[in-house]
Amino acid sequence: MENAISVAGLHKSFGATRALDGLDLTVAQGEVHGFLGPNGSGKTTTIRVLLGLLRADAGTVRLLGGDPWGDAVALHRRLAYVPGDVTLWPGVTGGEVIDLMGRLRGGLNRQRRDQLLERFDLDPRKKARTYSKGNRQKVALVAGLASDAELLLLDEPTSGLDPLMESVFQQCVQELRTEGRTILLSSHILAEVEALCDRVSIIRLGRTVETGTLGDLRHLTRTSISVETTQPITGIDGLPGVHDVVLNRTHARFDVDTQHLDQVVRHLSGLGVRSLTSTPPTLEEMFLRHYGDEAGREAAA
Amino acid sequence: MTTAGTGALLRFMLRRERRGLPWWVVGAGFLVFYQSLGSQSIYGTPERLARFRETIGGNAAMVAFSGPPQLLETIGGEVVFEIFAYLSVVVALMNMFLVGRHTRSDEETGRAELIRSAAVGRHAPLAAALALAGLANLLVALVVFVAAAGTGLPVGGSMLLGAATAAVGVAFAALTAVAVQVFENPRAVYGTVGIAIGTAFMLRAAGDAGDGTLSWLSPIGWGQRTFPYAGDRWWPLLLPLAAAALLVAVAVALLDRRDFGAGLLRTRPGRASASPALASPLALAWRLQRGSLIGWAAGLVLFGLALGSFGESVEQYITDNPEVANFFPGGAADIVNSYLALCVVFGALIAAAYGVAATLRARGEETSGRAEPVLATPTSRAGWLGSHLSVALAGSALVLAVGGFGVGLAYGLAVSDPGQIPRLTAIALAYIPAVWLVVSIAALAFGWVPRAAAAVAWVAVGYCAVVVLFADSFDLPDWFGKASPFAHTPEAPLESVTAVPLLAIAAVVVALLAGGFAGFRRRDIG
Repeated sequence: MENAISVAGLHKSFGATRALDGLDLTVAQGEVHGFLGPNGSGKTTTIRVLLGLLRADAGTVRLLGGDPWGDAVALHRRLAYVPGDVTLWPGVTGGEVIDLMGRLRGGLNRQRRDQLLERFDLDPRKKARTYSKGNRQKVALVAGLASDAELLLLDEPTSGLDPLMESVFQQCVQELRTEGRTILLSSHILAEVEALCDRVSIIRLGRTVETGTLGDLRHLTRTSISVETTQPITGIDGLPGVHDVVLNRTHARFDVDTQHLDQVVRHLSGLGVRSLTSTPPTLEEMFLRHYGDEAGREAAA
Repeated sequence: MTTAGTGALLRFMLRRERRGLPWWVVGAGFLVFYQSLGSQSIYGTPERLARFRETIGGNAAMVAFSGPPQLLETIGGEVVFEIFAYLSVVVALMNMFLVGRHTRSDEETGRAELIRSAAVGRHAPLAAALALAGLANLLVALVVFVAAAGTGLPVGGSMLLGAATAAVGVAFAALTAVAVQVFENPRAVYGTVGIAIGTAFMLRAAGDAGDGTLSWLSPIGWGQRTFPYAGDRWWPLLLPLAAAALLVAVAVALLDRRDFGAGLLRTRPGRASASPALASPLALAWRLQRGSLIGWAAGLVLFGLALGSFGESVEQYITDNPEVANFFPGGAADIVNSYLALCVVFGALIAAAYGVAATLRARGEETSGRAEPVLATPTSRAGWLGSHLSVALAGSALVLAVGGFGVGLAYGLAVSDPGQIPRLTAIALAYIPAVWLVVSIAALAFGWVPRAAAAVAWVAVGYCAVVVLFADSFDLPDWFGKASPFAHTPEAPLESVTAVPLLAIAAVVVALLAGGFAGFRRRDIG
């Protein structure tokens, strides 16, 4: 089966600013793909290229088997888009915006629309100027989620939503996933990505730095170990892949590169393990490590 | 009053206004400068002025659209007679936008929230906006004084003229301060204050043409009744200042009684679901633009009625003031038709301005980010741009037609000939290609140089206006006007309308529009 999105070596500059610098992104049909990166890393630019709103400078971009620039109209029949920064027409009501977007997309599932309005607790009769940021976001979400589109491009769709609405959103995405729809979810909320996404891509400065399942990514990073032994702990510092050791005779806390875990555990078992907790890295730690490293390197340069 | 932070806010507002405000001030000065030069060259001698006074004193329509005839004692008074009502409208609009933008618009967008969360008093934004308007009015007073005195009018009267202009502005700034407390929506504020400005004009028009009582109900009437250069009395300025003080007190009292972001009138809820008609990009463009189209069309009907109502008296006027005839393309020989032709071309310029404003709405949609979700649906770029352009093209044709209709209606009533209505409407429609050419320049600029589109389009309108208004009276070189589509449109009813020039302009329109679409198809959005 062909991938829903395949981007390779995508470049896009605005004047002297290089927004995308060889970005790669592959999203399989039917998967929920997390798209992570700090502010200004190029997530929105990528989505705009996928929508055919921006023309790529170089690289190949395929979307649902078509060219997003040349086949924009045909492709847009099959996708829905929720922008991250929603601006609406001040004098038009939320309900009108949702209906209009649905009709422009070629039809609207009325039942689902009304159901979503209820779940997101949104009053459709209010003029857009009176909506709060969260409510404007809900208008765009209802308009996008009510569609029958096979691909959804969601650009930080939950910014401004309260935790209750955040969980409604997560339920909606789970339902879409069971229906077999493809979702590209750009997000800052790592708990959301961990809960929803099959695979993630992490980008930085317009380039993809990591991509894979959460399991794959965890494998590339460190596990935190806290251990208590019967004999005094020795020789831990010398093992490959061990970092940040805090040693207190028979008690130690340290991080270990996941590929060296086996060796470390063998060493510890010789010392008589009394208790051992191992914590896999959270997405947040991976995220901070990627950006933290870079921030440190940039500060040094 | 809690006004902490007013000074800092005022400096910030001045910074935000540094590009827009100078144009209003210069524009006000230019009106006086141009009128003063023009009047002095036409009515510069006492005999000519006396003749003008006799003709005009009894012409109710002319008085209604100018000012009280008592002003016609001196040449300076004649300048005030002709320009003050329009100068007042410009200055009133400037004050309306200044106060509205820095109070209600900032509250609507949430910018004011950020400011109010700092150590800034509740009344500070309003106080700073009013101070800004006050400063702007001082500048206007100064520039009007310089323009008047600099063109040779007496210094004392020029000071009074400047002060009177500023006083009218202050009154409307204070009125806007009240309106922004009442309405949540800036457009409702501008609509209401705009109607108030129109009413002030109408009241003084009726008063000046009648026994003068109604003029005392209008801030514009108060300003005119200082009679600069024709008696120089300062005391009527107490009226706008007192009114302003009262209105500001009301505004402060209302401000204390309303919530931040809210008005005294809450916005009513709208439709829960869209009407079946709202189902295409064209329907959306129409929905977004219909309000302003109705406003422009209504304005042009009134404008046409006003100009058309002079039609009958213009012949007598020219016989009495042969110097004025030079201003008309047909000269004194065919003076009524010449006058009507000029009315229609004025209307066409305004229709072109509307068309440009409507076309630039597309750019506004793009920069605000509202175009993006629409273009992410199966709406093609051509379909989206075509929708906005359809409204601009059809709308400008409508504005043009109703302007001609207005001229025809008023003139037809004056000469008891209903046939004038279709005649002048048809004459106006001959300008469709010329108006559309200006629109298509805006479209071309939008397609290729979106950031400069507004500048390019308005320069095109300004150029056409300069050619129409000044080419004859200022002896501009021949080639200067050649590029204007208005110069190539037959000046009906002076000339007969022939198809060839119109078709030639239409061909250029088609080419420019096609170029605009081509540019928009290949560029980035945003």
